[in-house]
Amino acid sequence: MIFKNKLALILALFVSMAIFAQDGSQLTGTIVDADNIPIAGANVIIANTTTGTATDFDGNYEITVNEGDQIQFSYIGFVTQTIPYTGQGTLDVTMAEDAALLDEVVVVGYGTRKKSHLTGAVAKVKGDAIAGIQAARVDDALAGKLPGVLIQNQSGAPGADPKIQIRAASSITGNSDPLIVVDGYPISGSLATVNPNDIESLEVLKDAASAAIYGSRGANGVILITSKKGRSGKTKFSYNAYTSFSNKYVDNIKMTASEFADYADASIANGNWDVSELEAAAPGYTQFKINAYRNAPDVVAREDYFFGTGSTQSHDFSMSGGSEDSNFFASMGYQDTEGVVINQGFERLNARLSADTKLGKKFKAGISFNGFASDRSDFEGSLRDANRQYDISPIYHTPASIAFVQELEAQHQALGYTVNRSGAVSGFRAYDTRAVAGDLPGLFPQSIYDLQPGDPAWDWHYGRDGNGIGGSGNPGTASIVDNKSNTEKTYFANISSYLSYAIAEGLTLKTVLGGDYRATQFKQHALITGDGGGELKDTYLDQQDVQTKSMLSVTTLDYNTVLNDKHDISAVIGVEFQKNHLLGTSIEGNNVEQRLGEPLNYAFIANANTIVTERNETIHRESIFGRIAYAYDNRYLISASVRRDGDSRFGANNKHEIFPAFSLGWNIHNESFWNSESFISTFKPRVSYGSLGTTSNLGAYNALSFANPATTPLGNAFLIPSDTSNPDLTWQTNTETNYGIDLGFANNRFTLGVDYYTSDIENILIDLSVSEVLGRSSIRVNSGDVKSSGMEFEMNAGIVRNDNFNWSLGANLSTVNTEITDLGPLTQLPDQIYGTSGRGAVYRNYVGGEIGELWGLQTTGWVDEVHMINPTDVIGASSGEVYVVDQNGDGVIDATKTVEDGGDLVKLGTNTPDFYWGLNSNMSYKNLDLSFQLQGSHGAVLYNVDPLYYGSNWGGRLRESFDADGDGIEDATGKHYTRARDQTDATVQDAGYVALRNLTLGYTFNPDLMSKIGLNSIRIYGAATNLLYIVGDDYTSYNPEGINTSNSGYGGPITSGHQEGAYPVLRTFTLGLNVNF
Amino acid sequence: MKNIYILLGSLLLITACSTDLDQVPPNQVDADNVSDYEPVLIAAYSYHYDAIHTMPVLGDFRSDDCLFDETPYTDFADFSGNSITSSMNADFFRPFYSSLYQSILSANDVILNSTNATQVGEAQFVRALAYFKLVQVFGDVTVNLLGAPTVEEIAAADLTRQPKNDVYNNIIIPDLQAAKSVLGASNAANAGGRATSNAAQGLLGKVYATMGNYGAAATELSAVINGAGAAGITLVPDFSMIFGSDNNWNSEILFATAQSASAIIPGATRTEIIGNWYAGRNTKADDGAPISADLIAAFAASTGDLRTALTLNGETASVKYDAGSYTDMNWIELRLTDVIMLYAEALNETTNAGGGESASILALLDPIRTRAGLASLSGTATTQAEVRQAILDERRLEFACEGQRWFDLVRFEAASPGILNAEMGETINSNYYVFPMPVTEVTSFDEIIQNEGY
Repeated sequence: MIFKNKLALILALFVSMAIFAQDGSQLTGTIVDADNIPIAGANVIIANTTTGTATDFDGNYEITVNEGDQIQFSYIGFVTQTIPYTGQGTLDVTMAEDAALLDEVVVVGYGTRKKSHLTGAVAKVKGDAIAGIQAARVDDALAGKLPGVLIQNQSGAPGADPKIQIRAASSITGNSDPLIVVDGYPISGSLATVNPNDIESLEVLKDAASAAIYGSRGANGVILITSKKGRSGKTKFSYNAYTSFSNKYVDNIKMTASEFADYADASIANGNWDVSELEAAAPGYTQFKINAYRNAPDVVAREDYFFGTGSTQSHDFSMSGGSEDSNFFASMGYQDTEGVVINQGFERLNARLSADTKLGKKFKAGISFNGFASDRSDFEGSLRDANRQYDISPIYHTPASIAFVQELEAQHQALGYTVNRSGAVSGFRAYDTRAVAGDLPGLFPQSIYDLQPGDPAWDWHYGRDGNGIGGSGNPGTASIVDNKSNTEKTYFANISSYLSYAIAEGLTLKTVLGGDYRATQFKQHALITGDGGGELKDTYLDQQDVQTKSMLSVTTLDYNTVLNDKHDISAVIGVEFQKNHLLGTSIEGNNVEQRLGEPLNYAFIANANTIVTERNETIHRESIFGRIAYAYDNRYLISASVRRDGDSRFGANNKHEIFPAFSLGWNIHNESFWNSESFISTFKPRVSYGSLGTTSNLGAYNALSFANPATTPLGNAFLIPSDTSNPDLTWQTNTETNYGIDLGFANNRFTLGVDYYTSDIENILIDLSVSEVLGRSSIRVNSGDVKSSGMEFEMNAGIVRNDNFNWSLGANLSTVNTEITDLGPLTQLPDQIYGTSGRGAVYRNYVGGEIGELWGLQTTGWVDEVHMINPTDVIGASSGEVYVVDQNGDGVIDATKTVEDGGDLVKLGTNTPDFYWGLNSNMSYKNLDLSFQLQGSHGAVLYNVDPLYYGSNWGGRLRESFDADGDGIEDATGKHYTRARDQTDATVQDAGYVALRNLTLGYTFNPDLMSKIGLNSIRIYGAATNLLYIVGDDYTSYNPEGINTSNSGYGGPITSGHQEGAYPVLRTFTLGLNVNF
Repeated sequence: MKNIYILLGSLLLITACSTDLDQVPPNQVDADNVSDYEPVLIAAYSYHYDAIHTMPVLGDFRSDDCLFDETPYTDFADFSGNSITSSMNADFFRPFYSSLYQSILSANDVILNSTNATQVGEAQFVRALAYFKLVQVFGDVTVNLLGAPTVEEIAAADLTRQPKNDVYNNIIIPDLQAAKSVLGASNAANAGGRATSNAAQGLLGKVYATMGNYGAAATELSAVINGAGAAGITLVPDFSMIFGSDNNWNSEILFATAQSASAIIPGATRTEIIGNWYAGRNTKADDGAPISADLIAAFAASTGDLRTALTLNGETASVKYDAGSYTDMNWIELRLTDVIMLYAEALNETTNAGGGESASILALLDPIRTRAGLASLSGTATTQAEVRQAILDERRLEFACEGQRWFDLVRFEAASPGILNAEMGETINSNYYVFPMPVTEVTSFDEIIQNEGY
């Protein structure tokens, strides 16, 4: 940039001296780029003379010419044009960027490199590819775009961070969040801190050699973001806005009461159900139930209530410009989203300001600010639990529904008996007995005869345990939704500055100083919603205030030179210090006795009912690093880097570590023996090796042991320290080797990149299970080794390139394989059932296996509904039982041991895909543009707990004769069976998917037309997200990407793969506008 | 220009200081450098909080007194297989096991490191109580005597389950004897809910009785009864004054584990309310009727028993516990009535083989019978077996829903084989007198072997 300006300036000065010597005609015109943006400082020269001029800030020029002169228009980075003067009055020129001439520059850690000189695995995405999609978040726009980068919406809530996994997991318990570096500043936070519209380019450092310069912070990969800067010239102003609407992709998956009545009738008619035995014992009972299901009035499908239409409005302004010495960029964005799931919302206001200036000839300085304020609300509690409500009632009672439940009890009384789910017949039991006076009597109606229209409808109003059609013991839907909340408010600001000094030609000293600050308040509350009585024990008002502050100082000395046109040397050394402070207060309020008219306020909660926890943590890190890269004659490339990190989190004996990296590349296509006319225009093998450290999920003081303060009924206590002091606690190191080849064909119109890597993580930081006899369940140690490998393919093709029609296609595919090769003293981590109240797979992590394998009993199908004694018990209930395979034939089903160890557990899969891919297409025809982005992931499985709750929460529904002796073997067939909710593969489902992530159709209005009304360009577009979303055949819920990470016992990747009430995949339609002035 | 270098140089060195890598939090205390072990002792007491909810379930819902209605909790009534091994692990066995060992670890820390003899004595009482609960529930158990183990000590720890008699003889009994001699005599109220010599001696008596050493039990229990009055420990005049949070630390209490409705102990894995189990207000016993017909019949047979209405709500639920929500009500670990009845039991086993002492032994229960509005049992039984049955029946009514019944049955079975099956009305394999070890421990650590039958 600076170079460009300087050169233009010198040339302009030089040629302006000669202008006066000429006579002839005056020619004027404007020079613009392809986006119709004026180019300042472009050169206009009469060929073969010294006569010339340069354009002003508005791109205008004026020159004296003679008939027959060849006028040359040039500007660095653009194709030079020569146009003969034939007496035109004005001559406007549109300059085209010169792709061949401009060797693409790629940002790497603490510097940049020419793409042709790269030796590591770095993926680049240009800003317009991100902004063009107009996703609400940067990561959404990246999904499927980059090989080796898997982006999945595990949560699906608006404003929630997706999971970004670059290559193989670098830790078996820690998260996979990559380091985000914005303009050279490693920010504390996710990509959510960056407005997609502000991005100039984005690079992902994938291999160890590229990321090693970030040492201990680079193990999960590094995402480098370069933000937009102002350019000298006329101030530009742009406005981007869009509005979108979303709905859940899949249709409702649960039956409503009347649908179930029809299903029941059909099932009896076609013999799928056999109620004869029940009918003999309880005449009329089945029909009583079916009628009740059919006649329940004003039924609202819970799915229709929980999932509505979401919408987003987004507005974004930016302004940029500059003079010869200074430039600026400023933007402000606002986004407001109403979620598809009830109570979900996200609102954000963000701003970025940056200014750079030259101070004299040697100094440059800049300062930038980025900040946002966001406000997120979410559904509180378990959506699966709420959605489990039977669709037998309205949300709030109506006169008709009240009359119905009272009539239902009368009918039941007339029937004179009750039948439970196992078919046992007992005497009449009134529904009302369910209601026990709770802690706040009168809060909810205690009898169905007290109900008023508008009261929340609860399941027990419709009966429970066979005396009606109600079933779950849950509070009413409205009680859950109306009496709970979950919000997160965040304020974030980052400010960073730099000063650089050109000591000599190519030698620059630069220092960066900055800090960021984040304040987040999480708040959740629930009032009495509880079962039957409504108990204060279930209430809470929790608030966590977390403030983090990070200070960073980096100073680098940078040397770049090209000697004799052959030796390209680029070197950097630097020091970096970072200090992070965390101040946090958490208040848990219990026994929240909110009465009518009282606000939710801690002032109303007795002191003794609050638990306050405070955190005051400091992490300090200091590093020195250096890198040297050398390219000989654009053919032989070599790069080496080293970093030494010190980190306060580690044990006293191991606070420092050194991370070296080394890489080589060979531009064979630049060799003299290579035919430059060859169809193969690029042929570049490269290899890299490097080591990275990771602190995994290490907290500030995990190496130390502190008494754990708490209050108890007997006074203040020091509970057992949560950490065991470990002076040897040390870095987990990841050594990675990357082999890659870059191929280009037909003058690089088609490119293919292939990378193969192996990664070896040693000294894994794990929470090693220890016997609870020792007063703790685990200790944090370095123990174990994981090896991974993967292949990545990336292909790009400029299929059609002409004036009116352009079509480019990109495709990528990635594979990952991981194996645990050592676990220190153990051969396996303890098997763990992770799930929902014991419903889940057995997660096994053992030497020789993958990380987080799901194990369970193999099933051969569900026990047919014909065996259910009382199939009308609850809506949609299956038998709840599945046939299981006795793997070792010992006549006993043992779900606690593998087949190898004498049990019957078999491996069911993992939640890590075998491979994933993306396909991107960009087409433009005249003023129309059309692009789409497909993403696919295959080979992962998940344990989906939803069907167990929505359909068959309980076993014990089979008729006695099915298994008279209760030995778990069907008497008629000798087949073993068990509850589906046990550790079986009954609900282990394919987590694969193919998604049309984005389809965008845009139209750019004619620039000539626009300039008449004072605009540079206007583009309108329509886009669809997930227009098509294909899931595996056996997948039955709303979102195969949704993974539960919040139940107790979650251990990171070692227990990943449980799904519980995942927020749905959304199909979104967007209309947007981009305006440039 | 020189200024520029100075500026850049100073930026280079900003925040550079090697001690920055040694960070400690300003608001916490180094666990290895505690100056006063009082808070560690309090932690040892408080960890029992997370174990007490298991006792009623094991003591009553495993026995013939109470019933669960909803699967898988009904597994408690199943003595044929291993279903409770996994289904009840997370709710009961594991939190019970882990919290008691946490109490033991904290107590060890005090015993090993505190210089205050009273603190050490109290810690020994707390540790003995924890081990006593463990051996009653699991039989043989691992012994941990480490207070603040290092990573190396943890790796080297011997996890082998020690024979339960070794645990009794090497830890529980010596601890209680030490506590008995070091601690002062007092009732629980005056001791602020802390351990006393009376509590230590009373528990020692119960320990001996459970071991079958009724002779030693009688000696200790007799001493407790004789010294009770001087320490302010007396039977309350009315049965209703024993229970409910209003009656915490009443004069009958030797030791109780304090609960609090408000200060919910951080880290407690289980916050279920004991009262809910007995009141049928938990969905697991969701008919609102967790009390067995057998127990209801036993109360009905005790005509005029004032305890009936103070124990049962009509015919379905227990009213010994506060209704609703979290409660401040303590969990009674040992009350004077228990000491008296254990003493009678011990005398019957040691002095009444011929039945000659029957009347005098049963007369010991008179204050308890009188308080219940009942006549003396003295004279109603003449043989040792009849007295044993009378005491067992009396315990059932007196301690209904106090987590005692199952452990009483197992103790009486040792003295009189067959009595457990007779009471339960079914034949129960003796493997199931103890409960399954937490499966999480068994599967993870080879040294920890599951109990036979599970």
